[in-house]
Amino acid sequence: MLEIKNLHARVEDKEILRGIDLSVKAGETHAIMGPNGSGKSTLASVIAGKSGYEVTSGSVELNGLDLLEMEPAERAAAGVFLAFQYPVEIPGVTNTYFLRAALNNIRRSRGEHELSMSDFMKHIKSKVLLMDMENSLLSRSVNEGFSGGEKKRNEIFQMAVLEPSLAVLDETDSGLDIDALKVVANGVNALRSPDRAIVVVTHYQRLLNYIVPDYVHILMDGRIVKSGGKELAFELEEKGYGFVEEELASKA
Amino acid sequence: MIDLKSTPHSLIENFSLMKGLLSTYGPDSFQVLREQAFRSFSEFGLPTTKDEEFKYLSLKALEDGRFAPAYGATIDRYQVEQTAVGQVDAITVTFVNGEYAPELSSAHLLPKGVFIGSIRDGLAAHEGSIVRHLGEIATLKGKLGTTNDERFVYLNTAYLTDGAFVYLPKGVSLELPVHILYLTSADHGPLVSFPRTLIVLEENSDAKVLETYLGIEGVYFTNAVTEVFLGESAILEHTRFQDEQIESVHIGVNAVHQGADSIYTSNNVTFGARIARNDVNVWLDGEHTETWLNGASVGFGHQAIDNHTRIDHAKPNCNSFEVYKTILGDHALGVFNGKIFVYEDAQKTDAKQTNKAILLSPTATINTKPQLEIFADDVKCTHGATIGQLREESLFYLQSRGIPKPEAQGLLVYAFAAEVLEKITIPTVRDILEKALFEKLKESQKLPDQDGE
Repeated sequence: MLEIKNLHARVEDKEILRGIDLSVKAGETHAIMGPNGSGKSTLASVIAGKSGYEVTSGSVELNGLDLLEMEPAERAAAGVFLAFQYPVEIPGVTNTYFLRAALNNIRRSRGEHELSMSDFMKHIKSKVLLMDMENSLLSRSVNEGFSGGEKKRNEIFQMAVLEPSLAVLDETDSGLDIDALKVVANGVNALRSPDRAIVVVTHYQRLLNYIVPDYVHILMDGRIVKSGGKELAFELEEKGYGFVEEELASKA
Repeated sequence: MIDLKSTPHSLIENFSLMKGLLSTYGPDSFQVLREQAFRSFSEFGLPTTKDEEFKYLSLKALEDGRFAPAYGATIDRYQVEQTAVGQVDAITVTFVNGEYAPELSSAHLLPKGVFIGSIRDGLAAHEGSIVRHLGEIATLKGKLGTTNDERFVYLNTAYLTDGAFVYLPKGVSLELPVHILYLTSADHGPLVSFPRTLIVLEENSDAKVLETYLGIEGVYFTNAVTEVFLGESAILEHTRFQDEQIESVHIGVNAVHQGADSIYTSNNVTFGARIARNDVNVWLDGEHTETWLNGASVGFGHQAIDNHTRIDHAKPNCNSFEVYKTILGDHALGVFNGKIFVYEDAQKTDAKQTNKAILLSPTATINTKPQLEIFADDVKCTHGATIGQLREESLFYLQSRGIPKPEAQGLLVYAFAAEVLEKITIPTVRDILEKALFEKLKESQKLPDQDGE
């Protein structure tokens, strides 16, 4: 599904990603872990097409399509969804209006018919239940005045509504208490399916207790330095990132 | 100034034509007000861009125009229902070309002592209150400021005829909103009308008023004055929606007098006219008042929209909050001038002022001037002005959800002004104005469909 090859990217003069290779198949959940500044969020941003990053070499493909050639909205239409680390507040635009505009754009670009207001409402009501959200949230402005937990929950709600084929969760656990974390994780788990891939970007192992990954990759200094199964996350939690550095040093 | 005495001008000439008719309307004190105001207006004439308060707004269209005195036009209920505000569920008082139109107004059973109707009808039971307040609130006499300019209040008062009158006695809370609707249809050539509104809320009363200026047809000049008196602890939410015809001139002054512990909210929404000028002047005459001034203006083509606000903090312990937003495209011109006067006595004043503008084209311009004059020493006053583009991170957020860039931009432009409309707490009015904003922007912005909402 997602094929990243030798990806190099920089912000201004600073090279952040220095040769990433990652292959994620449909139905899989991958965790990308790494210390602060290792390039995790940059990777998520480059996949979604945020401006300000210059890809200097390498490729990112989704189901054979070259994502790097696409505008962010085209990537969304192709099936990419990024759950933001810091979801943006958009005062003046209600959640309903926003999501309907998003979903209908995506449907249109896929050649599907647009959803009428009533079909759309049916579609999102089931997702509201899934995310254990208040109905009133739908008529509120996007993320405005939401607590940190509500914002993250809203991200996963949007993901549930838009039903992407690739979801990238950027530090979705940050700022969440344990109850909110469980709700968010339940939402994500409900969306796991054989035709959907999920990439969880996180600093801590905590979230991975609830969203159990198939593979764990450790990102340091712009490269994936170690990959393994879910047990790698526990090892990291126990020993800290220092053990990977030592391991790398002893190999060198 | 433009001297109107040496060269004949319709705004002066009309007075001698109408004098006889005007004198039959209202008590003798009205005639005194008219005569005084006409003298002052004739003396000072029309402002030019050399006058500080009109520095960025050319009134050449007024100078060159010939405006006949307004007379009634035929507008039926169906036509009104088809307008943007035609479906507002409210106690409605409608005027057509300045003339009271009872057939387009609604009759409601009102709480005891409440009056909502025309000034003419209100005089029967409330002459004392009308005479006491009319002209007294809109004046800047004795107030701070070296460039005070009252010419358009003079002009309106010189031609004082009818207008809307809302009166709430002590302790009355009105459940339904009030809608004061001024329609103008200049189907027989350019005309001028002088709507006058007086809203009096006695102690502890509470109301929501929508005041609409809507153009139906033609070229015209609307010179409106609204006076609001809030007694102690009175609460008023006052939404003013102006959508005049594109070749018209609208100059309106909204003057407010706030008693102690009162709360006044102004939501000032301006879409229309070739030249639109709004002055909102709030005089804080008691302690512990709260004032909210919210503004949203949208202009395209060659529209000029000039918002002047002033808050006179004359007493201690008062709070005022102000947010004005402007969206301008094409060759539109915007002006914002926000004055806050803090008088010597007004310790513990807390005043916040923000104004923001988005320019959608390189040929649109905005002139912004916060003007704080503070004569007390223990106060908190802040102001901020931004003129800018849309936030990159918001744009990316929308795009990342599948909304293409042009639509995402349109959505953010809409949201920028819609944020102000959210302050309106009458749901139908908020929805209607959001829709009107959407329609206004739709021509220039690629906005996602909103049907069914």
